[in-house]
Amino acid sequence: MLILFTVTTLAAGAPAVDSLLQHLDEQYKQTTDVRANVTLTQEKPQQGAKKTDMLYYRRDSDKSFLIVMTGPESEKGNGYLRVGDNFWMYRKNTRTFQHINRDESIGGSDAHGDDFEDRQLSDMYQAVKDSAGNDIITEEMLGKVPVWRFDVVAKVNDVDYPKKTYWVQVRKDQNSKEETIMLKEASYSKSGTLMQTTYYLAFTRLLGKIVPVKQLYIDNFEVGNKTIVEISGISTDKLDDNIFTKAYLENLSK
Amino acid sequence: MNFLFTISLRNLLRQRRRSVLLGSAIAFGTAILVIANAFAHGISEVLFNDVVAYVAGHVSLSFTKGANLNNQVFPDGDRMIKIIRDQLGSGPRINEAIGVFARAIGNGKSDNVIMVGMDPNGDASEKEKKQYQKNFRVLEGSFDALTDSTIENPVGLAEDKAKSLNVKLNDIIRVRFSDIHGQTQAARLTVSVIFKPSNAFMSAPIFLHTKALKKLLGYGPHDIAQLYLRIDNPKKNAIAFANKLHAALTPPLAVIDGNLTCKGTSFTTTLLALRTDSASLALLRSNTSIVKRCGDDTALFNRKSVIISRAFSEKNGIGCGDTCRVTFDGKFDSLKGSIKFIINTVIENGAGIDGNTVLVDEKEFYNAYYDVLPISVVTDKGAFRPDTTIAIYPSLGGEWLLLKRSKTTKEVMKTYRDVAHKGWKAIVVDVGSMYETASMVLNLEIALNMITFICVMLLFFIILIGVINTLRMTIRERTREIGTVRAIGMQRGDVRNSFLIETGLLALISACIGTIAAFLAMFGISRITINLEDNPLSMLLVDKHLFFAPTPSATVAFILLIVFIALITAFFPARRAAKLSAAEALRHFE
Repeated sequence: MLILFTVTTLAAGAPAVDSLLQHLDEQYKQTTDVRANVTLTQEKPQQGAKKTDMLYYRRDSDKSFLIVMTGPESEKGNGYLRVGDNFWMYRKNTRTFQHINRDESIGGSDAHGDDFEDRQLSDMYQAVKDSAGNDIITEEMLGKVPVWRFDVVAKVNDVDYPKKTYWVQVRKDQNSKEETIMLKEASYSKSGTLMQTTYYLAFTRLLGKIVPVKQLYIDNFEVGNKTIVEISGISTDKLDDNIFTKAYLENLSK
Repeated sequence: MNFLFTISLRNLLRQRRRSVLLGSAIAFGTAILVIANAFAHGISEVLFNDVVAYVAGHVSLSFTKGANLNNQVFPDGDRMIKIIRDQLGSGPRINEAIGVFARAIGNGKSDNVIMVGMDPNGDASEKEKKQYQKNFRVLEGSFDALTDSTIENPVGLAEDKAKSLNVKLNDIIRVRFSDIHGQTQAARLTVSVIFKPSNAFMSAPIFLHTKALKKLLGYGPHDIAQLYLRIDNPKKNAIAFANKLHAALTPPLAVIDGNLTCKGTSFTTTLLALRTDSASLALLRSNTSIVKRCGDDTALFNRKSVIISRAFSEKNGIGCGDTCRVTFDGKFDSLKGSIKFIINTVIENGAGIDGNTVLVDEKEFYNAYYDVLPISVVTDKGAFRPDTTIAIYPSLGGEWLLLKRSKTTKEVMKTYRDVAHKGWKAIVVDVGSMYETASMVLNLEIALNMITFICVMLLFFIILIGVINTLRMTIRERTREIGTVRAIGMQRGDVRNSFLIETGLLALISACIGTIAAFLAMFGISRITINLEDNPLSMLLVDKHLFFAPTPSATVAFILLIVFIALITAFFPARRAAKLSAAEALRHFE
């Protein structure tokens, strides 16, 4: 179910960036199992659109997820399985599992393994501060929506983008509970070049939390490339433990 | 024997037409065999000398961090180079090998590229420099521009790559790639040299100066990437040199000597890496006993164990649940490193680590260790080194992890899969010779040789049917002659041998003629220019020409083989001829 933006009030005064990051982590944290259908649509100039459908299972409690491709025909049956620190890619044609890195591309798209992880933003990034040690955060309008804009830099080495800019909305829901929602994200290379802009276009509510169900990734480096990620059929029913096993992925691929 | 030789030669010349026809067939088969073998050998020479030597080196030293083959880095390059020089002397030319996949945007066109580091003025013999110039024929610009600091990231690329990116000299190419930390990086490169490569393999990469590329990829000033050694007589020396280097690279124990601060007190401490694969944890479990453990699992060691002995705990008043920080001096540039951990396990004394020693799980340990490489010092102020004979010593991590020598590329890949599977956190060091790293090239040569050999042997089989048939006809025609010579005293053995010598002479002369014809044909064919742009087969060409590499040993072996096969083929009919009785032979009429 899509949620329309009904802003009631914004937080008075600029919030601390670290607390915003923590609130975002809280929003994205899933305490239950999750199952969803995901569609990745990649558009490249002169190549048209390529659509990839997949099933996505996730269990944050033991850092597990399973992705299996259901379309197109050339990718059907291929999959990815992560359990703890182990990450495998499964190829249906050869019926083999290959141990891979978290920055491996998923289905040849711009999504990578670490995009499906549950890593905390607050563990990976910290606020950019001014010379006085204060967070650099400004209030802006994103279309008609008031947002907080701030920059962060990586605290650890193993992130894709060492610098990011976030546009975050802080609002109150129907129960007057404060919610922090990311609406836009700009990702920069180490040299400061804008590489990617992400728009979070649509959301749904899942067990009291806001979950983005439509994201647009625009490639700012190779202009014209973009990827749309759409999530549907979300279920939070408990998943069978067998799902996060190689045997299950192999069977599913058949 | 002389008279037999004379008789055989006379018989050959007597039936000229038959001898010429049969000899031509044998010569043709020989020529095909020599050409095919020379071509197969030529392909592997191209791959070995022009590709493998640059792509993999005659001997290679690779340093893989985090089980990620794309992350090749070792934090103390000078040390590794010193080890190489100590073991192998000043002979080998050492080059750093860096390559990274990138997405390049030119003028309205984009393409995938491999950014490769090169050092045009680096370690190379005169012969290799000439080979360089042959492999990279400059069309515009100069390779010297790669070291020009006034140009923004100068880059050299092949003519075809420049076309695919629609760039010319001095144009800008933007590239996107991941650095050694996996972080996305973008850079602008200036086209400074356009060259024509001698084979298609060299069209794909774009070349930056090694130092410039290392900087873009985030290498520190003392870091090195993979090392390729080029040596003299590689086919003879590569494996021996690799073995020698391997023996010298047994890693010492990884230690961090530093100052531990915990609960307001401070004292010198030694940190050791605890390997957390299942075998190491099992070794620990069977040789120690836990006094106290915090956290969920009170019974077992796990991958997040931070362990001290009871003696250490009681002496310093620290224990389970205490957060401690160790600061230490770095080896380079007066840097300081630090590592923070929470002690979660106290073990009974007697395991061999009772001094001021903390066993830290390898993930945390190596993060700090490789971040700021510590000075390895042994002092008498609390620094402690465990005895190598203690039971748990194998579960302590070394400065790096040295892989066993592999025999083939397949074994190398299996080893790396095991490394990824076991999740070792130390930098994995692998010593390889071109035979392992390029065993597929060797297998290709063997396969090509086998295929050509089988095909030519089939051809010879057909030819030899003709030989047998011709010999049978000859014997039939000469039956009365055989009877005559037998009647005047020639022995059976001599009759047989005369036919064998006749066939042998024919085969030898034909094989030699065929070999000469093969060399002439190879000379002619290799002069033909073949334009195979955008065709994968162009990788088999050297400068648009087919390349043949005949070897004397193979050529002589083929001639001897052909003569041998001809003799075997002739033996049975010749023996049958020898068994004819003189009286019966004399009575024979055609």
